Formats: sequence, C-alpha cells, structure tokens
Amino acid sequence: MTAAWHADLQMLSAYADGGLDDVRASSIEAHLLSCETCRDLLAPAVPAATIDRVWQGVVIATVAPHAGIVERVLLRAGVRDDIARLLAATPSLRVSWFLAESLALGFAAFAANVAPGGGADAALFLFLVIAALAPVAGVAAAFGPGLDPTYEIGIAAPMRNERLLLMRTLAVLATSLAIAGLAAIALPGFDRAAIAWLLPSLGLCLTTVTLATWIRPVVAAIVVAMTWLAVAASVTAARSDPVAAFRSGGQVLALALIVISALVLSRRRVVYEGGVAA
Amino acid sequence: MSLPTVEIADVHKRFGRTTALDGVGFDAPTGITGLLGPNGAGKTTLLRMLATVLAPDSGSLRLLGWNPAVADERLAIRRRLGYMPQEPGFHQTFTAFEFVDYVAILKEMTDRKARHDEVARVLALVGLEGVMERKIKALSGGMRRRVALAQSLLGDPDLLVLDEPTAGLDPEQRLRFREIVSERASDRTVVLSTHQTEDVAALCPRVVVMLDGVALFDGTPRELTDVASGRVWLAPERSAAARLSWRTPDGSHRNIGEAPAGADLVAPTLEDGYLLLVGDRAFAEEAA
Ligand SMILES: Nc1ncnc2c1ncn2[C@@H]1O[C@H](COP(=O)(O)OP(=O)(O)O)[C@@H](O)[C@H]1O
Ligand SMILES: [Mg+2]
Ligand SMILES: [Zn+2]
Repeated sequence: MTAAWHADLQMLSAYADGGLDDVRASSIEAHLLSCETCRDLLAPAVPAATIDRVWQGVVIATVAPHAGIVERVLLRAGVRDDIARLLAATPSLRVSWFLAESLALGFAAFAANVAPGGGADAALFLFLVIAALAPVAGVAAAFGPGLDPTYEIGIAAPMRNERLLLMRTLAVLATSLAIAGLAAIALPGFDRAAIAWLLPSLGLCLTTVTLATWIRPVVAAIVVAMTWLAVAASVTAARSDPVAAFRSGGQVLALALIVISALVLSRRRVVYEGGVAA
Repeated sequence: MSLPTVEIADVHKRFGRTTALDGVGFDAPTGITGLLGPNGAGKTTLLRMLATVLAPDSGSLRLLGWNPAVADERLAIRRRLGYMPQEPGFHQTFTAFEFVDYVAILKEMTDRKARHDEVARVLALVGLEGVMERKIKALSGGMRRRVALAQSLLGDPDLLVLDEPTAGLDPEQRLRFREIVSERASDRTVVLSTHQTEDVAALCPRVVVMLDGVALFDGTPRELTDVASGRVWLAPERSAAARLSWRTPDGSHRNIGEAPAGADLVAPTLEDGYLLLVGDRAFAEEAA
C-alpha cells in the first residue's frame, strides 16, 4: 500500500510520548503498520524502550480484535506477541479450564466452611487434593501427541520443543497456583495448611513431565495422580488427620521428588525433541 | 540427475507387533518423488521419518546431506523442512492467519513484520487470501487442507514432505496444488504420498511404489506404465486369464494379467502398471 500522506517528526514524537488524542494516535498507528518510511522516522525520534511499548500498543490494537481471550489477556499483561501466540495454543490454557478449577476449589472451600465436623475434614482434604492435582492435569494437557493438535508440525519445526514445553508448563502452573492460592483464602482458619499443597503439586507436576518422556503425558498424569492419591488417602485415614499427607513428612517427600525428577529429566529431555528413539 | 538429497537405506520400524517398515530403501534427488501404495503400506511412517518426527528402529537416513539421528544435524534439517502431516490438526479457535503465524513462530521467524508478510504470502499462494481472518473451525475441509499446505510452504523449504496432500481436494484445487508444488520443485526436494495414480502421472518425475513396508518399485512413471505393457487387453467378456477386469463405459472389458494369444492388446496406463505390481505381490502372498 502506498500512503497518501506521511507523519511529520513532531507528530511522531508527540505520538511516542503519548501526547496525541485517541483519534490521531490510532490513525498514526494504522499508518505506521503499512509505512516503513515513517517507522524509520519514528525509530531515532524515541528511545528503544518507548518504541517497544508503542509497538505493543499497536499489536494489541491490530491483533487483539481477532485474537482469543487468553491471547488478549497475555498481550495486555505485556507478554511478547509471539510468545502470547505460542501460549494461546496451549490446550489447557483455556478460560473453561480455569473456570472448572475455580469451581471445584470454591466448592471444596465452601464445604469445608459449612459442613459439620468430619465432613469439613473431608472437604479440606478434598481441597488440598484438587489444588495439588489441578496443575498436574493442566501440565499434562499442555503438550503431547493427541492433545496438542499441531504436535507433529511442532516437532518438525526448529524451535526447541523443550522451550515450548517449559513455557507452557510455567504458564499453566502459574495460573493454576494463583487460582488455588486465591481459593485457599476462603478456607476456614486460613493458615499454613492452606498452602500445604504447593510443594506436593510442584513435585507431582515435575514427576509427570519426567514420566512423559517414556509414556504419553495423559497416561503419566493418571499414573502419578492415582499413586499419590492412594498414598495420601491411606496416610490420612491411618492418622485420622485430614492434612496428614501434607505435613512435614509429605513436604520432604515432595522435595525429594522434585530433586529426583529434575535430575532424571535433565538426562531425558532430549526425548522431547522428537525424532529420537525413546 | 542430481545428487540424492534424501537417502533411505534398509529402514525398519515396528509398532508393537505391527511391522510398518520392513527394510525400505531408495534415494530421492531434487524434484518431486511420489510414494504410491495402498493403505497400510508404510507411507506415512516413512514420511514421518523424513520429517524428523519419528526415528527408525534400524537402518539409516540422510536428509539434505545430514543425519537426523544427530541433534545438531536434525536441527539443521528442521530449519530447511516443510511438513504437512496426513491428518494435520488445528487450533480451532485460531484464524487461518493466526494458525499459520503460530507455525511461523515455531519456525523461528522472530521478526514480526517479516513473519506476517511471509504468512500472508503462503496463504495467498494457496488461494486463501480472502479467508485469512476466518476461524479455522468455520473453514471447509478443503480449505483446511490448504491451510495445512500453506504452513508447510513457510520459508520456502528445501525439503518438502507432504502426506496425501491432495486427499479431500476437488479437481480444481488439485490442479492448483500441482501448479504450486511443481513451481517449487526445480531446485528443491519434494516427497509426497498419494494413492491416486493421476497425481503421480501428472506431477512426479519419479515414483516409488510401497507395499508392506518395502519399496516394490522405484523408477519413472513411464517405467511403471511399462510394467503393464503387453498385459492389458480389451475383450467383450471378462477374460479367464485376467487378474483384474472391469467393464469400461463403452461396454467392453479391460483385462489386466497375462494376455492370451491373439488378445486385443491396448496401451497400458500408469494405473495398470501399479495394479499389476501391487496385485502380483498380493497373489504371491496368497499362494505362500
Ligand atoms: N503410531 C502407530 N502405532 C501403531 N501402529 C501404527 C502406527 N503408525 C502406523 N502403524 C501401522 O503401520 C502400518 C503402516 O501404516 P502407515 O505408515 O500409516 O501406512 P500408509 O500411510 O501407507 O497407509 C499399518 O499397519 C499401521 O496400522
Ligand atoms: Mg498414510
Ligand atoms: Zn509514512
């Protein structure tokens, strides 16, 4: 497209400083998108950091109207547009997904508040279990054959899958943990027990990602969840203490799990690059 | 003929108890090589290896001069590779543009402006410039296949691996596809699979027929056609000597097999050659 007009330097620096009204600013933005001359003119007029900020605005204005809600939120939060797009394709980074987690946790916290005696204990146990396992499910569904529809195309592309996996895992983990953290505030007698799920959850996630170098991520998640659930439930029953599995013994075990998984994963991570015999 | 850019030697692959590849081997030069074979022949398994997605159990591969089993070399291959899987999946909530842009990001195109230009270019190449902003879930099946083809063309790759790219395309789209691919094939390598002999006849200077995990035939379409020379004849009835026989629109029967003396021999087609080859093998198995 050839432009009928060009912005002058004065106008461009006013724009970069945020000194233009909305109408003129958006008309400049639209022009900048198609006009290299003016982009070049803009570049020396303002510091690089400002350009980045401005471009971020342009991207939000031009990309966002079409983008999904996750991508828009990420862009608003200042995430780079290419990374936002990679994350937006994460199967478990969905509003519906987080809604489900919030509902389950909210329900458990509510029950822990209103249920009498033993019922409240069971609800607290349920809360901790859901809080610990929700990120595991999210991480398992963040990548892998069968879940990521573009898995094979991704493997065949040069970007390191390890990097994509790490990025998605962290995004899912951060969001899940934030939701669980918020929900924990609603627990009765909010105290240390309310975040007792954190370390176990990290341990279970890392174990799942490690195990997924041998078996499918979803299968790995199910194996990890079932095993841990059996252990946690039997400890809880034996001690008749709803948070027994989450006391110091459980926390030390979780820490050990994190260390061992990290060690094994560092040796196994090449499997995530595909094209090698596992 | 140029040096081979794809070298496949004695490659084996099993999935549990199924043997998908049983010692397949052939070389492919620059230009288009078509893999022809019935379902289950092992075409997809082999193409996934050429796309560095799958590793063989044994045997060796060399792609564009590199060994995909070595990490650095595998990366070098991936930087020059375009791959369209047989059943490409999509992020349904993305638009066509966003989806191809997503793949472009995976292909390390970090400069936003250049990347967006390239995405628009490949979408226009497959004739989808009008629906770039439409969600994938709102596109027809044929359009989705073209989106998948478009992403494989990103960055003008030296090695293009296409698994049944013409499946689900209507005749006009198929023609357009042949045009796009043949334009690109002069100094690049394209390996594609199909079970349509017309694709091979129209597009591939070289054809490999696969069956039961091996390459039965490796040559030019002309040579594949010649397999059936002297073995195709017309008769008013289905001939007892024929392996295969079908009624043609003009009412006579087209027979393929060992022609009896005095038969009304006709010029064979590539499909005749293919059917004879694959049929031969199937008959040999039945006898064994
Ligand atoms: N991932 C897989 N798991 C199990 N069996 C497979 C897998 N991929 C292919 N096969 C089997 O290997 C054989 C060859 O399949 P494939 O390569 O898809 O052939 P084609 O593409 O020629 O139809 C078939 O018997 C198929 O069932
Ligand atoms: Mg196939
Ligand atoms: Zn201008």
